[in-house]
Amino acid sequence: MNILFDIRYYILYPSFFAPIILPGLIFTAILLLTTIWFERKAAARVQMRVGPYYASKRLGGYLQLVADALKFVFSEVIVPDGVNPTLFALTPVLVVAMSFLPLAVIPVSVIPPSGSIFSIYFYDFYDPNVGLGVLVGLFTQYNMLLILAIESIYPAMIILMAWSTNNRFAIVGAVRESYLSVSYDVLLLMSTISMALEYHTLDLVKIVQSGVPGILANPLAAVTFFIAMIIGSARFPFDIAEADTELVLGPATEYSGLLFVLTMAGSYVGNFVYALVFTDMFLWGWYPLSGFPGALLTVIKASILVFFSVFLRSVYGRYRLDQALRGSWKYIFPLAIASMFLGLVVGYLWIQ
Amino acid sequence: MDSVKIKEYKKGESPFNVVSGHLQAVGAGIKYFVKPQRITLKYPDESMSLPTGYRGMIRLYKDVCIGCTLCAMVCPADAMKMVTDQGKKFPTINYGRCVFCAFCVDICPVDALKETGVHDAAFSNRRELIFNPEKFDQDFDQPPLRPVVRKVKAVIDEDKGIKYVPDTE
Repeated sequence: MNILFDIRYYILYPSFFAPIILPGLIFTAILLLTTIWFERKAAARVQMRVGPYYASKRLGGYLQLVADALKFVFSEVIVPDGVNPTLFALTPVLVVAMSFLPLAVIPVSVIPPSGSIFSIYFYDFYDPNVGLGVLVGLFTQYNMLLILAIESIYPAMIILMAWSTNNRFAIVGAVRESYLSVSYDVLLLMSTISMALEYHTLDLVKIVQSGVPGILANPLAAVTFFIAMIIGSARFPFDIAEADTELVLGPATEYSGLLFVLTMAGSYVGNFVYALVFTDMFLWGWYPLSGFPGALLTVIKASILVFFSVFLRSVYGRYRLDQALRGSWKYIFPLAIASMFLGLVVGYLWIQ
Repeated sequence: MDSVKIKEYKKGESPFNVVSGHLQAVGAGIKYFVKPQRITLKYPDESMSLPTGYRGMIRLYKDVCIGCTLCAMVCPADAMKMVTDQGKKFPTINYGRCVFCAFCVDICPVDALKETGVHDAAFSNRRELIFNPEKFDQDFDQPPLRPVVRKVKAVIDEDKGIKYVPDTE
């Protein structure tokens, strides 16, 4: 019994549980397959088709994705001539790592002092801002800034990947990605700062525990953040860097096999990370609940957001680069400034 | 033509039109997602019963054929070729080139060529696509490995466009 208790203690320890099990690696891997299945199935429904079906008829073709994943894992990795093989193999790993890292600092739930399975860790993850423990891999009071800082390394890794493959399509994709990354990072930062000004904090836990959902407090910031999320995770209609009809797959052109899976996983994981931040910041996160059910609520809300953003594939075509830049700088950027002013004014009037 | 209204988006109008356009697009997508209007058939399980006069694969009646070479002459895709067999000319067909226009059937003066309703055949290499007169002379059919569960026929529907109803015959 003692050993079992020890195992349970270490598995449920938030520094292990959050990055590895619930919002972390295992759940994200399952969500990745489910998201891609949902993307194909939803696009098929809207376009009057059936979508994946024959791999498992009862599950609606869900096992097709498992089959695809197995096929990719066991297919050959081709390293082109004239590239640095170390960099070539390393950069997809870096891309995925950089998009996974923020999962360690995103709070997914709070820990009450008693009554939850996480309550024994209450004092180790104590948040003085709200007087509760936080279910998070690494507790910091400035997690909003830390998440965005880590996630903003991701486009740099995409550009590194394109440069290291020494392919002309990849270089064009990297140039497009660099244009876009500047425009959406500005939007993300400005909407986050407006929320920080409004709630007088850089701690996502305090925003959720304040009891007012951010989408009511600052709807402009929510719209800005959502559009920036779609641009940032390369979903349609902003699938510009990896436009497969023009540039073969953009920065991921030369990759095959397992490395290709990693390059594709990066944007989906990035989408999930942004969706978790969006849930915490605007959609009340775990609010009425706490402990494990709270974490589940947060993750379910974020998954629905991810599903919605992949659903957009069936509705939209792809914007040209100049249209996307014009949209983000001419229409969304003034919206971000307006959201910042709204945050300032409301935050000044509403002192918590 | 006045009755046809075409929706135009003028440049330089207020950005709220853009917003409502996006909302309409997403709404239409959600409508189709909730109530899908599929028009694809799950083929080996359901198959469409073909109309009479369907231009499928072509067969030859060798004893009727007079070897006039008109079919090879009219063929727009150069799929028909004549070969000499025991001093008599017979057509061969290459289904890799055939476009199923059935001009050869129309032009044949003695009705030695006929359209069959078979259209779902698969070949494992290109040499099998060329039918010599002996093979061309027989009824060709490849029944599906699994039996067809449901025969359907397509009817025009006011709301949906195309609808499949079970064929009762």
